[in-house]
Amino acid sequence: MNVILLLIPLSMVLLGAGVWAFFWAVNHAQFDDLDTPALMPLADDAQEPEEPAP
Amino acid sequence: MTPTCFHCGEPVPSDCTLTVHTNGVDAPVCCRGCEAAATWIQGLGLSDYYRLRSEPAERAETLADFGAWDRPAMARLHVRMHAADRAEVVVLVDGMRCAACGWLIERALGAEPGVREVGVNAPARRVRLVFDPRDTPLSHLLTALARLGYDPHPLDLAALDALRQRESRDALKRLVVAGLGTMQAMMYAVALYAGQFDGMDVATRDFFRWLGFLVTTPVVLYAARPFFAGALRELRARHLSMDTPVALAIALIYLASLIATLGRSGEIYFDSVSMFVLFLLGARYVEMRARHRAGDLVDALARLQPATAERVADGGGSETVGVHELQAGDRVRVAAGAGVPADGVLLDSACHVDESLLTGESTPRRRLCGDTLMAGTLLQDGPVELRVTQVGADTVLAGIVRMITRAASDKPALARVADEHARRFVLRTLALTALTAAAWSVFDPARAFDAAIAVLVISCPCAFALAVPAALTRAVAVLARRGVLVVDGDALERLAQVDTVVFDKTGTLTVPALDRARSEARRGDLDAALRIAAALEQASTHPLARALRAAAGDATLPTVRERHENAGAGVEGVIDGMRYRLGRADWNGETDDERLVLCDQHGTLARFAMHERPRVEAAATVAALHDADLHVVLLSGDRRERVARIAEALDIDDWQAEATPADKLAGLHRLRQEGGVVAMVGDGINDAPVLAGADVAVALGSGAALAQASSGLLLAGDRLDRLLQARTVAREMLAATRRNLRWAIGYNLAAVPLAALGLVPPWLAAIGMSASSLLVLLQSLRIGRRSTQPASTGKTTVAAVSREALA
Repeated sequence: MNVILLLIPLSMVLLGAGVWAFFWAVNHAQFDDLDTPALMPLADDAQEPEEPAP
Repeated sequence: MTPTCFHCGEPVPSDCTLTVHTNGVDAPVCCRGCEAAATWIQGLGLSDYYRLRSEPAERAETLADFGAWDRPAMARLHVRMHAADRAEVVVLVDGMRCAACGWLIERALGAEPGVREVGVNAPARRVRLVFDPRDTPLSHLLTALARLGYDPHPLDLAALDALRQRESRDALKRLVVAGLGTMQAMMYAVALYAGQFDGMDVATRDFFRWLGFLVTTPVVLYAARPFFAGALRELRARHLSMDTPVALAIALIYLASLIATLGRSGEIYFDSVSMFVLFLLGARYVEMRARHRAGDLVDALARLQPATAERVADGGGSETVGVHELQAGDRVRVAAGAGVPADGVLLDSACHVDESLLTGESTPRRRLCGDTLMAGTLLQDGPVELRVTQVGADTVLAGIVRMITRAASDKPALARVADEHARRFVLRTLALTALTAAAWSVFDPARAFDAAIAVLVISCPCAFALAVPAALTRAVAVLARRGVLVVDGDALERLAQVDTVVFDKTGTLTVPALDRARSEARRGDLDAALRIAAALEQASTHPLARALRAAAGDATLPTVRERHENAGAGVEGVIDGMRYRLGRADWNGETDDERLVLCDQHGTLARFAMHERPRVEAAATVAALHDADLHVVLLSGDRRERVARIAEALDIDDWQAEATPADKLAGLHRLRQEGGVVAMVGDGINDAPVLAGADVAVALGSGAALAQASSGLLLAGDRLDRLLQARTVAREMLAATRRNLRWAIGYNLAAVPLAALGLVPPWLAAIGMSASSLLVLLQSLRIGRRSTQPASTGKTTVAAVSREALA
């Protein structure tokens, strides 16, 4: 059981780090728009105008 | 079946032959604006937009002139200069429907020369632009947005949404802290429960209790702070609402658990209290997102108060200037249907203004020469001139806005009633808790504290507190996704009870278009007359005016001076020294039919026949309304034969023609006196007072801005069929609310006595509490599941399906 005396404080530290990272991300506008980024991977990168279909 | 526009999804007029070339085929579009927008989007290689979007675009209107935004005085207020080559501006963009719009704007503006950064926030409808003003003037970027079919309003830098952004970020942080804390607390609680059954030595148990205390403390002290702050505020105001009992329950449970931990005896409820906070914060977060989405005060102000004003110079000429450039003493001209830019004294003889937004007075007020007009009120007829007396922060409007900002938590009546119920319920619970504690301390003092806490936990007001807001926010969110904006929370509740639907014919059930075959020119040619008519109607948003402008096409329109609009009759103005009148035949001395007559000083010049096409979805909507046992009424200001024809085509029995706005209002009052709950659907400039007279006012999204101002619901994109969906969702919401409240009452009636008798172990109390809240949330999430999906055009269905497949 003594291992929990090490693991639980460790989980607390990780939790603190996680919360800090999340606060940082929120403060740097990472969560201001939750809708648009979801579409980004779906868009083609093509910069040239569309070619007519054969 | 009429083809629908490739860009905006509206039906294409039969006389329109415009197309855009896409994917090897020629797709039809409904107007030049949409053609230009679609062609430009294709040309930029951004046709993915049509694949990604889930809502059709806003119909692209003819372009406005954004030149005034380049004036240095305007730029100082709206543009932040970081360096000589780096300027930043935040623009509120109307017409953003779905995330694909954000994607499109980002790509299209990013392709403009001199643009450094484009940040789009689709839910807040904000676009942040960083650009090089030496390469690209601001007006150029605004024109680009308008070309895509979006209506840009640059925002005042001072009001740069800092407040709203902070609110949303804070809420998210609190939610995550509460979530992580709850998870940890539950983990330790599970270990403690297991220890209770399988045996656990006291040292380990205390260790886990202290851990629970450690993770719960930030949840209570940081995440739950809004509840404590709210309770404190209410206490100072000597007023009780939801926050007081919630804060009291949180504090009591937390302190009791802390005492149990310190005293190494009794039960702890760290997991319950964190979960309680998490659920409440979750509900508040959803509510806040819906509120932000539905538009807020900053947006309302950006739309209400015009950004530019037409200042009249002493010499007689006029120039367009920024509103903040105005000074007391300036002469300003305001057009009909436009907002008054600053407080001022009327210089013309008389006019009507709609002050409903400021005073709540629904009928337009008549103002005579020398009377004061308030900034932000809407001019009904005009144009008129006024002398500015107060500007900026001194205006009545600014004062009202300051007042509203203070009382920002404006709740709909339904939520207020539920709050009242919950408050009374919680007060009784607190009394019951005290009673339980007192009774047990007589019989068995050792169990008094445990039993009292069990009552407090099991009867937690969560289910009550969530019942209405959860259903309401879910309904608002569902409707927003389907293109119905709920402007006023009460409207949704009343919509569910509506039994009569009143339509205003022109532009609501039909779209007018010029009938060239039946139009004739008495003198000169028809096209020249059409140009004059279109010029006279240039500033008007009336559907007939739009049809005339569309018919005039791309021709350059002559300048009109001394334009004056007479509500219900027509419009007059001077072009090249000649006075013209355009309007109803009897107003122009003709005894003819329904044709619009254009005349000058020498008599009739031309007559324009309009034919009314019922909107594609109008007949289906009316039939569905009949099916739902709703009484459908048509109140129209148009001629008898015409109204009869439309009523017959749409199968409406109850109709009234040639009704003035006063007649319509009287008709509405009669219907309401007969016990009906009336929804009025309108969009015309004459509708504003009539809309305000109905139980629920529904405005069509592309109608005159005036009507939108006083409406409770806004159907985006002119889609009538959305009215039915809104009604279905509203009814589901009301049903869910009732179920939620019944469930909360039933649960509490069953559980509280058991807890008071000391029969409920703490873990069961905690499970009962969470389960009751969860059930309420799940009930609310069912809203909008069963109701019919939006009837959409093929394209958008494909887009929606592909989105679902990917989700």
